[in-house]
Amino acid sequence: MASDWRRYARTLRRFWGTALAGQLEYQLNLLIELLAMVGNLAGSLFVLSLFYGNSSGGAGTGLGGWSWPEAMVVLGVYTLLDGVSSTLLRPNLSRIVTHVQEGTLDFVLLKPIDSQFWLSARTVSPAGLPEIAVGLALMLGAGLKAGTRLDATTLALVAVLLLSSTLILYALWFLLATTSIWFVKTWNATEVLRAALAAGRYPITAYPAGLRTLFTLVLPVAFLTTVPAEAVLGRVSGPWALASLGVAAGFLLLSRAFWRFALRFYTSASS
Amino acid sequence: MVARGLGKTYRVADKQPGLGGTLRHFLRRRHRDVPAVTDVSFTIQPGEIVGFLGPNGAGKTTTLKMLTGLIHPTAGSATVAGYTPHRRQRGFLTAITLVMGQKQQLIWDLPPLDSLRVNAAVYGLDDSEAKRRIDELAEMLELGEELTRPVRKLSLGQRMKAELMAALLHRPAVLFLDEPSLGLDVNAQARVRQFLVDYNRRTGATVLLTSHYMADITALCPRVLLIHGGRLFYDGRLARLSERLAPWRQVRLELAQPLPAETFHPYGELESLDGAAVRLLIPRQQLTEAVARLLNELPVLDLEVSDPPIEELIGRLFRKGVVA
Amino acid sequence: MNRRWPRALAPELARGLRIARVLLVTQYAYMLEYRAEIALWALSGVLPFIMLGVWSAALTGGGGAAGLGLGLSQAELARYFLGAFIARQFTVVWVVWAFEEDSVAGRLSPYLLQPLQPLWRYVAAHLAEQATRLPFVVVIAALFFLQQPAAFALPSPARLLLALPAIWMAFAIHFLLQSLIAILCFWSERAQALERLLFIPYLFLSGLVAPLAAFPPGVRQVAFLTPFPYMIGFPAQLLAGLEVPIASSFAAMAGWIALLLPLTALAWRAGVRRYTAMGG
Repeated sequence: MASDWRRYARTLRRFWGTALAGQLEYQLNLLIELLAMVGNLAGSLFVLSLFYGNSSGGAGTGLGGWSWPEAMVVLGVYTLLDGVSSTLLRPNLSRIVTHVQEGTLDFVLLKPIDSQFWLSARTVSPAGLPEIAVGLALMLGAGLKAGTRLDATTLALVAVLLLSSTLILYALWFLLATTSIWFVKTWNATEVLRAALAAGRYPITAYPAGLRTLFTLVLPVAFLTTVPAEAVLGRVSGPWALASLGVAAGFLLLSRAFWRFALRFYTSASS
Repeated sequence: MVARGLGKTYRVADKQPGLGGTLRHFLRRRHRDVPAVTDVSFTIQPGEIVGFLGPNGAGKTTTLKMLTGLIHPTAGSATVAGYTPHRRQRGFLTAITLVMGQKQQLIWDLPPLDSLRVNAAVYGLDDSEAKRRIDELAEMLELGEELTRPVRKLSLGQRMKAELMAALLHRPAVLFLDEPSLGLDVNAQARVRQFLVDYNRRTGATVLLTSHYMADITALCPRVLLIHGGRLFYDGRLARLSERLAPWRQVRLELAQPLPAETFHPYGELESLDGAAVRLLIPRQQLTEAVARLLNELPVLDLEVSDPPIEELIGRLFRKGVVA
Repeated sequence: MNRRWPRALAPELARGLRIARVLLVTQYAYMLEYRAEIALWALSGVLPFIMLGVWSAALTGGGGAAGLGLGLSQAELARYFLGAFIARQFTVVWVVWAFEEDSVAGRLSPYLLQPLQPLWRYVAAHLAEQATRLPFVVVIAALFFLQQPAAFALPSPARLLLALPAIWMAFAIHFLLQSLIAILCFWSERAQALERLLFIPYLFLSGLVAPLAAFPPGVRQVAFLTPFPYMIGFPAQLLAGLEVPIASSFAAMAGWIALLLPLTALAWRAGVRRYTAMGG
């Protein structure tokens, strides 16, 4: 057991070491990513500011009862998650389709290592790291401005809920990517998911009731950004925090079970 | 390695083209069972090199995938290195390897060495052991600085050698090779072949190999399995395969003067007639009698009996897809 | 390759029409094969609906219409974002990706040998894809009105007649802009990444996430110096039946096309020269 953990840890180090080596060749890409991040963040902040009354000079409750700095916390969490998906999720999960299409999934399945681990952690892209940093800074800075006290308990809770939202995002994405075993072109479905997740830029209460239900129960956007942001602001309720963990655990188990199921299909039907 | 009555039947969805067809298919699925492999049994001893032959679509790849555990058999069972392949236990996975000539596992943008290090970690080799094995394999394959050049800058032959290294780093006891020399030039083919012989000698590994190049098979495999239409058609020495494939022999005659074509019909099948040079195909059982009669009844200057070349026979089989 | 405008126009025109018809018909047949993906593509343009949610909640809840500086009713807001959705659907451009794929796969060289500017091929592909999208867009719009019956209104025939050329011109501007980036593929194999940068001002200034009326006056003035507000906002306003300066907007669009068209042609010629000099 212990040796197995060591083997996985060593493998992960090798995975990411090789991934970084491969990407240093493209400094230009890194520059473009940086510019894109700055542009996107500026644009998002600008659009957000539109809701806070350019005429009335910062009317307190522009979006669903969230003040300007509070809404910026949500945007910070969104930026952070976007950075995580550029760093870890997109580079790995978008490759699953290619593995299925080109038949190189066979190589992965023949390795004495968990195939979901291989497919989910095979590579890492440093391009999203600045976005993670900026997202964290925005989240905490805006939180302080909103008057929250960032003590150890708050920070620990924030960390746990961020982890849980990352896992939800990962599991959702992996579930979609898994369907590539049957439908080769799932890339478009991923785009739909990404487009819908853009809703996480704003607190969930900023939406009309119908959309709010949709974004909580069907597509858990609320758990992705609003719940961690509430934690930063020190006002997340116990049930919501627990629900977030529950949703994360549920989606994670579901993604695992679904992958196993899909593999059974793959190994009994592929030619 | 043992296969007992191995079979695989695919369920093929009968779907009409178009959106309507898709919907109808969704509502009321109709399937057809298409057998890809039927009742294949054989035993391969440790250390053997066996060639796996058959025309495209004969079931070679399906059988290979069942033996590597990538697909479940729908009938029969297999045992490889003491394991049931489709359970895909760790012990099994570290005991085998699969090389596919048309697919690659090396990371395209990086030198092969990086991919090798990843594999070393995955198979739990420590650094010094990995280095020793890499050096050993590199020496056998005559790879040097190529290992530190990005894969995309390697020639096809170098790439294949590096693929072999990645596939063999964990020193598998059983090698499955699916068209390992596909697309390589003659020299590179010969080198890969030589390497496989060396590797088999050094490690005593079992090798099951498919190839379209007869030279691979004749040079490497004393024993061949021939699969056709999903069924095992022949299992034995390569040399004796010709008897199964061609139950007749070729007789070449040099005559004193040209004769009309009808003259030869009583003796066998006329294959070619070029003035006084004649080629006949005569069934094996009638050979002695036919030759005696030919010598007695016709003005024969020279007579030569030969086996049709094995390459030609198998080539014919592959082209026509029918067994003679 | 080096065709100038021909002297004898009539036969040339007939030839052009024939090529256009054949290209469009084959591309349409090709796109129909991919209708499932195209439906998903259409669905991935949900952003205007999400933004409508935020804007309408802000309108009823917080500052009120005056505070937001919109000057739009709920129904008008809903129609605006539906218009933005439709305008986006028919101005989506993906020539960068198609071009890059073709040049990597080596399909470009044969195209360059044909007596037809290869970009026309992509234009035809885009138009065919839009035709494939049309039914999905109609369904989504119908569902939208079912969900928001209060916002239901069809544009007047005059407005529709204006909106169509507006959308086509918006598509032309977007296509030319992205073609410029695609042509950079002749110089750098990663030119595609630049598209990410072009997309950012497009996203925020085109009116996809907010009607330009909501912008502070300074930002709005700057935005109207770029082609972006004409690419979504203007056609959306036409479709929604909102008040909008029609003549000057069309003039601005024509100006942008007049600027971008020769620029693209020049860049293309330079790119092909480089391509042939490099020997493919």
